[in-house]
Amino acid sequence: MTSGKRDLVILLVLVLAMATVPAFVGTRYIITTLTLFFIWTIVVTQWNLVLGVAGIFSLAQMALFAVGAYGTAMLGYYFGMTMPPAMLLAALATVLVSLVVGLACLRLAGPYVALLTLAIAQMLYLLVVNDTACFTNPPSGCMPFFGGVRGFSRFGDLGFRDLLGSKWYVGHYYIGLVLLALAVAFTILIFHGPLGLAFRALRDNPGYAIARGVGRLKYQLWVFGLSAFFTGLAGAFYAVQFGVVGPIVFSVSMLLFLLAMIVVGGIGTIWGPLLGAALLTLADETMREFGDYRDLGLGLMLALFVILLPRGLAGVRGLQRPQG
Amino acid sequence: MDVAIQIVASGLTLGAMYAISTVGLALVYGALNMLNMAHGAILALGGYVCYQVMAAMGLPAPLGVLAAMVVCGAVGVLIYHLAARPMLRSQNFETQIFIATIGIGAILQDLILRAFGPQPKPQPLALSGALNVGGVAVPYQNLLILAVALVMMAAMAWLLGRTRTGRAIRATAQNRDAAQLMGVRIGRVYAQVLALSGALAGLSGILLSSISGLLPTMGSDPMLKAFVICVVAGLGQVQGAAIAALVLGLLEALIQYLFGVQYAFAILLMLVIGVLIWRPFGIFGRRQVVRL
Repeated sequence: MTSGKRDLVILLVLVLAMATVPAFVGTRYIITTLTLFFIWTIVVTQWNLVLGVAGIFSLAQMALFAVGAYGTAMLGYYFGMTMPPAMLLAALATVLVSLVVGLACLRLAGPYVALLTLAIAQMLYLLVVNDTACFTNPPSGCMPFFGGVRGFSRFGDLGFRDLLGSKWYVGHYYIGLVLLALAVAFTILIFHGPLGLAFRALRDNPGYAIARGVGRLKYQLWVFGLSAFFTGLAGAFYAVQFGVVGPIVFSVSMLLFLLAMIVVGGIGTIWGPLLGAALLTLADETMREFGDYRDLGLGLMLALFVILLPRGLAGVRGLQRPQG
Repeated sequence: MDVAIQIVASGLTLGAMYAISTVGLALVYGALNMLNMAHGAILALGGYVCYQVMAAMGLPAPLGVLAAMVVCGAVGVLIYHLAARPMLRSQNFETQIFIATIGIGAILQDLILRAFGPQPKPQPLALSGALNVGGVAVPYQNLLILAVALVMMAAMAWLLGRTRTGRAIRATAQNRDAAQLMGVRIGRVYAQVLALSGALAGLSGILLSSISGLLPTMGSDPMLKAFVICVVAGLGQVQGAAIAALVLGLLEALIQYLFGVQYAFAILLMLVIGVLIWRPFGIFGRRQVVRL
C-alpha cells in the first residue's frame, strides 16, 4: 500500500470513529468544543500546507479565515442569502483574495512574505475597526459596512434548529466533521500528488527542478489559492456555528494559538498539525480557569518547542514512520 | 502655508518615530538574518522601565533612560543565549528564530501586563513647551524625537562603517562561515548586535511612549510599521531604513490630511506593495543572486 493510500485509510478510520461520538456523548459542551476543534484543525492543516509544504512563510491565514467568515456574514446580512450558497461564495471570494495577496507577496524572499502578509492582515483589521461611518441604520443601532467593532450577528443559520430542535449542534458537528475530512483528504492528496512532488523536487535540488520547468512561483500560487478555499470555508462555517462574526478573528492571541498547534505538532507533516490541534484544544479547555495565563503559556510553548523540538511531536524519533 | 508646515511637522515627527522603532530591527536583520518579532515587546519594556525608575522610584531622568537601555540590552543578550544560539546551526534558522521570537514577544508582553496592569500610563520623561514655526506650534518633545533619531542613525553609521566591531558585524552579515574562518568570534558578534539593538529599542520605547502613552501593547503597532519600513528600504539597510522612515512619515501625514486618518495606513501599505512588485528586494536593497 502506498503511503498516500495508507494516510487516506487512517483518515477514514479517524473520521468514522469521530462520527460515532455524538451517539455516546450527549453533552452539548463536548460536542461544540469538538466542532470548534474541527474548525481550527481545518485552518491549521491548510496553513501547514502553505508553511510546511510550499515553504511560504505566510501569516495571512487568519486574515483569509476572516474573509470567509465576514463574507458569509455580509452576504447573509445585506442580501439575505441562505447560508450554504453564501458559505460557498465566501470561500471562493477567499480564493480570489488569496490570489491577489499571493501575486503581491510570492515574488519576495521568505521573511518579506511574513512581514507583508502580517501587515496586510493588520490593514484589514484596521479597516474593519476604524470604519465608524454608518452604512445602514437598523433598529439595533448604527451598522458600519464591515460591522465595526461589534461585528455581525443574526445573518442566518443552516436551519438545524428547525430540523433537530434543541439538538441542532449535533448537525453542526457532522458538517464540521465532513468539512474536516474533505480538508485533510485534500492535504493528503497535495502531499503525495504532483504538487507535493514538485515541492520536494524544488527542495532537494532547486537547480535541476527549475531547469526541468518546475517553477516555484507557479506551484506556490496553486497551493496558496487551493488551501485558501478550505480556509475560507472554515471561516464561513465558524460564522454560522457561532452566529456572530467580529474583529476577534484577527487577534494576535488567535494567531499564536494556531501557530502553536502547527509548531507543537510538527511543521510540514500530515498528521502533526492534527495532533497539535488536538493537544492544544485539550490544554486550552482544561486550563480555562487560568485564562489569564493563556498568552503566556502559548508564548512559552512556541519558544520552547522551536528551540528544543523544532520538528514538533511528529518529528520525535519512534513516532516517525519511514519515508515511503 | 500653515497647512504645509503642519503637515511637514507632523510628518517628520511620525517619520522620526518610525525611524527610532526601525533602527534596532534593521540592525538585527542586517547582521544576523534574524527577524526579531519580540522587538515590539522590548519597545514597551523600555518605556515601562523608565516609568518605573522615574515615577515609582523617583529617580532622575538620565537614570531612567540608562536603566531602560541596560534592561532591554540584557533582554537582547538573553534572547541570544536562550533562543538564537541553540538554533544557529539549523537549516531553517530564519523561520525558527522568527517563531521563537514571536513566542518570546508574547511572554514579555504578558509579563509587562502582569507587572503594570492594562491601564495606560503617562511617560514621565517628556519635554513640555513648543517651538513656534511660522505660526505652527511644534512641541519640543517632537523635536527631541527627531534629534534622537538622527543621532542614532549617525551613531549606527559610524559604528558599522568606522569601528572594528562594526567591521566584524558586517563581515558576519556577509558571510558567517568566512568571517568565522578569519577569526571573528561569531557568538560574540551576535550577542553584541542583539544587546545593542535591545538597548536602542529601550531608548526608542521611552520616546514612543512619551507621545503614545504607556500600554503593554504599545510596541506592536510601531513594530509593524517598522517592518513595513524595513521591507520598503530593503531588509538590513540601516541608513536606507532611516530615509524610508522619514519619507513614509511625511507621506502618511499627507495622506492623513488628504483622505482622512483611518485610511492612512491602508493606502500606505498599498503603495508599499506597489513598490515591492517594482523592486522585490526593496528600494535600497540589492538584488540577491542565488547561486545553486
